[in-house]
Amino acid sequence: MADLQINLAGIKSPNPFWLASAPPTNSGYQVQRAFEAGWGGAVWKTLGDPIINTTARFAAASFNGKKVAGFNNIELITDRPLEVNLKEIYETKKRFPNHAIIASLMVEPKQEKWHEIVKRVEDIGVDGLELNFGCPHGMAERGMGAASGQVPELVEKQTYWVKEVAKTPVIVKLTPNITDITVTAEAAVCGGADAVSMINTINSLMGVDLDSWNTVPHVAGKGAHGGYCGPAVKPIALNMVGECARNPLIDIPISGIGGISNWKDAAEFILMGATGVQVCTAAMHHGFSIVEDMIDGLNNYLDEKGIASVMDLVGKSVPKYSNWGDLDLNYKVVARINNDVCINCNKCHISCEDTSHQCIDMLKDATGKSYLKVREEDCVGCNLCSIVCPVDGAIDMVEIKQTLPSMTWNERQSRIASFMT
Amino acid sequence: MSTITGGRISSNLVENFEEIHKGLTRSEAIEEANRCLYCYDAPCITACPTSIQIPKFIKKIATDNLKGSAKTILEANPVGASCARVCPTEELCEGACVLNHDTKPISIGHLQRYATDWAMKQKEPLFKAGDSNGKSVAIIGSGPAGLSAARELSLLGYQVTIFESAEEAGGLDRYGIVSFRLPREVVQWEVDQVEQLGVEIKTNTTVGVDISTEEIINQFERVILAVGMGQVPNLGIEGEGLKGVYDAIEFVKKTKVDAPTDELIGKKVAVIGAGNTAIDAATTAIRLGASNVKIVYRRTKNEMSAYQFEYDFAKQDGVEFRWLTAPSKIVSNEQNEVAGLECVKMTLDEPGLDGRQKPVPLENSETVLDVNVVIKAIGQSKHTKLIEAFGLNHTKGVVDVDSETFQTSQENIFACGDCIFGNGQGEAMVVSAAQQGKEVAKAIHRTFMLQSEIA
Amino acid sequence: MSEYETFMEEKNKIDSYFDKGYQVISIFENLSGTFVDFVTGEEAIEREVVQIQLLTAEARKYIATKLLFVS
Ligand SMILES: Cc1cc2nc3c(=O)[nH]c(=O)nc-3n(C[C@H](O)[C@H](O)[C@H](O)COP(=O)(O)OP(=O)(O)OC[C@H]3O[C@@H](n4cnc5c(N)ncnc54)[C@H](O)[C@@H]3O)c2cc1C
Ligand SMILES: Cc1cc2nc3c(=O)[nH]c(=O)nc-3n(C[C@H](O)[C@H](O)[C@H](O)COP(=O)(O)O)c2cc1C
Ligand code: SF4
Ligand code: SF4
Ligand code: SF4
Repeated sequence: MADLQINLAGIKSPNPFWLASAPPTNSGYQVQRAFEAGWGGAVWKTLGDPIINTTARFAAASFNGKKVAGFNNIELITDRPLEVNLKEIYETKKRFPNHAIIASLMVEPKQEKWHEIVKRVEDIGVDGLELNFGCPHGMAERGMGAASGQVPELVEKQTYWVKEVAKTPVIVKLTPNITDITVTAEAAVCGGADAVSMINTINSLMGVDLDSWNTVPHVAGKGAHGGYCGPAVKPIALNMVGECARNPLIDIPISGIGGISNWKDAAEFILMGATGVQVCTAAMHHGFSIVEDMIDGLNNYLDEKGIASVMDLVGKSVPKYSNWGDLDLNYKVVARINNDVCINCNKCHISCEDTSHQCIDMLKDATGKSYLKVREEDCVGCNLCSIVCPVDGAIDMVEIKQTLPSMTWNERQSRIASFMT
Repeated sequence: MSTITGGRISSNLVENFEEIHKGLTRSEAIEEANRCLYCYDAPCITACPTSIQIPKFIKKIATDNLKGSAKTILEANPVGASCARVCPTEELCEGACVLNHDTKPISIGHLQRYATDWAMKQKEPLFKAGDSNGKSVAIIGSGPAGLSAARELSLLGYQVTIFESAEEAGGLDRYGIVSFRLPREVVQWEVDQVEQLGVEIKTNTTVGVDISTEEIINQFERVILAVGMGQVPNLGIEGEGLKGVYDAIEFVKKTKVDAPTDELIGKKVAVIGAGNTAIDAATTAIRLGASNVKIVYRRTKNEMSAYQFEYDFAKQDGVEFRWLTAPSKIVSNEQNEVAGLECVKMTLDEPGLDGRQKPVPLENSETVLDVNVVIKAIGQSKHTKLIEAFGLNHTKGVVDVDSETFQTSQENIFACGDCIFGNGQGEAMVVSAAQQGKEVAKAIHRTFMLQSEIA
Repeated sequence: MSEYETFMEEKNKIDSYFDKGYQVISIFENLSGTFVDFVTGEEAIEREVVQIQLLTAEARKYIATKLLFVS
């Protein structure tokens, strides 16, 4: 049994799996059910002036018959008065003293507003605060959420206001709706944040109904952009986590969010620098019990790797994440087809022929049987054929041992610079 | 496993007894696992007699957590690797899968096999015995019921000894179910899992012969009777002693112990009965090279106790069925060998007390089937002598037990598995034997808990 | 001609100039590729300048690797 406990900027939880601030953490009833199921922490549905929601609220992308490849919502923050939420937070914390409860907060960008909510929430007893600078719709139109999260000065200033009064650790939740997330992350650091979390949802329009020409979802025939999350956003979120983790100016812990559906996704975020993870869509799709496999799978993985504590996994892949200019140009892989495994669908051929480097030949052997072969000298090692190949093990990308030493683009440029007169 | 297809008979007899289904590839397993909806309060769980948390173990296959998956299965079912192969899944979990109403049910059996096959390749045991509580339990019989009870009891800290009359442990899993559906390595692995928990299995030890029932009662605090059933009883017709007449269970057993012989090549075979054993015997005969195999049954297809998939499997193997046909005499030649099977035509009368229509012979309808081998598969006899030696109440050889605690008429003796099956109660299946084994273990544990509360 | 053959031709050219004792004195890159000027000899008067144009990515990589590690 590996030790799954984490300590994120002073917030401790029995395992790295938290529910993200969203419908799953709407109420004490839900959060308590989640803790019973095994979740280590919960970021309460964002508190602030109670809002009014529309119906409908959600839509999802099915991909080739698989439900919820991506998820879209136009829901706002909590619609319940602060007192009600605080009472339930108090009761939940009393029942589960060792689980992490973090209050997500969003108010207008005014010092006194932040001071008021921080004090009231901390008085009730929470393990930390998360500032929601990310909600991309609705709240943003009112100058909150992503609207303030996209302006580095506002991120810094509001974090600073919170830190003026906060006694518990402050996590700043960043919006991905920005060109370079490290800029707002740095702003959070400058404002005194104890940790950052990312990502909130990405601006999206789920679709258009081809019969009615309505947006999907629509509210009485009209739509507004929503926020995108779920499995489809994982690569975007993982990159943002990695970019922050490898940035020396962002020297605070990261809580990873975005498309995490199972223990493997979580382990990837942790390797890429997250100290813990938050989950929303996967829980909405399957219920709280999915955490059981998350815990069990992560535990088995750590045991198998001989790692005693999940904290020892944090950031292990960060040194491997680098700039393009530091990649070795003399490293070479080529595709190799295993004709025994290949089922002759020719998808590799046509993908290479039409859209890559025309180096997979369709041939016939002496008996007239078709087979495919890569002209390795022309193969640029792009991976495309192995990506489209439907059969495990039919195409291997094999490393060609180089006679030439490693050379990055940056090394090349600095070497030839002296010859450029 | 129920979706195996027969019909590929080879002239190489050894090949015929290799497991028919080769197991899912990784891509097949992942694809199938991802098709499972991960239902809440899933009906497949309710339909599994051992209540395996099916969506949970399938999810773990989908996330590559095979260790977790195998543990989820084996926690609930100590013989989950055998069950993955022999459970009538259409009637159980897969029959209840909600996708029956939408697309097609999840292949739960195949997925269960995929995860347990992975476990079979591991060196590290998946379970550890509980801290010893100093209490001893004797289990008589090492079939699925006995093994399951032993596993559960050792997890709870009991010192368990199994007495088994056969040379190897495993019961009908080891000797009864044909190897092309359940290879012996699978059963051996399940036995090993129980042994590594510290359970002692005394094979070649028949209770009532090699050790008396009194000794057992005196040496152990609790006793579990899990002796299953016995031989196939006699038909009570002329010619049963002839050369060429077999007991179906012995007949199948031989193929699970020795390499296949050529004694059936080219022979014409009649199998009497239409239950699981008859199907296994008939398909075994085909695989041993018999030129023609007929199943002879005195009622119709509607009354046969074999499952639909078993029937389909036998049909694919080329087995013929003769309904409403009852054997009346085994015909002999001069060498005292079977030379034919005389049968009478039957008709179904009004339903009897058991609700089944009674077959009655049609007068002057005798015909002789041209066969030279007759295999008897009309059920199994009961271990009445042993049951009585333990002083247990029984109904026609079926041990009477409390339906919840599996306690017999003797306070410290419990019974489970096929030896309590019959007279209209339950169904003789590996999975129900396993479940009963678990329940007996729990019930025994409760008796000790009660004692310590009183003390 | 395949990309690979073009590269081999360019690589052979580069190798042969280095083998003959030529040195790179200038590299110039633009939309048409990389232009490499080789010279022989030490003295300005004896100098013979040859220019090769490298079209393939592999050759443009190769020339820099040569300069970094080989010569
Ligand atoms: C041919 C055949 C095919 C079958 N196919 C299927 C199938 O596909 N699916 C399915 O679910 N079920 C099948 N069954 C039924 C299944 O095998 C049984 O329901 C199950 O094995 C019962 O388990 P058990 O532990 O109660 O008894 P058994 O498996 O019969 O084990 C009892 C054990 O007790 C031992 N024993 C008996 N007397 C003594 C004694 N005096 N001292 C010591 N040991 C003793 C026996 O040697 C035996 O090992 C089949 C049965 C047969 C015969
Ligand atoms: C319906 C819905 C409501 C959400 N509401 C909030 C919110 O109130 N506050 C917040 O910080 N994030 C909110 N989020 C964003 C999630 O917390 C999370 O950052 C995002 O969904 C990405 O994680 P996922 O891919 O696991 O869903 C919401 C997401 C959804 C789907
Ligand atoms: S999930 Fe529940 S609240 Fe939402 S639409 Fe369905 S029934 Fe209504
Ligand atoms: S894509 Fe894969 S399976 Fe299809 S032809 Fe190519 S190697 Fe074979
Ligand atoms: S009923 Fe079918 S789909 Fe639902 S959990 Fe069970 S196996 Fe999966």
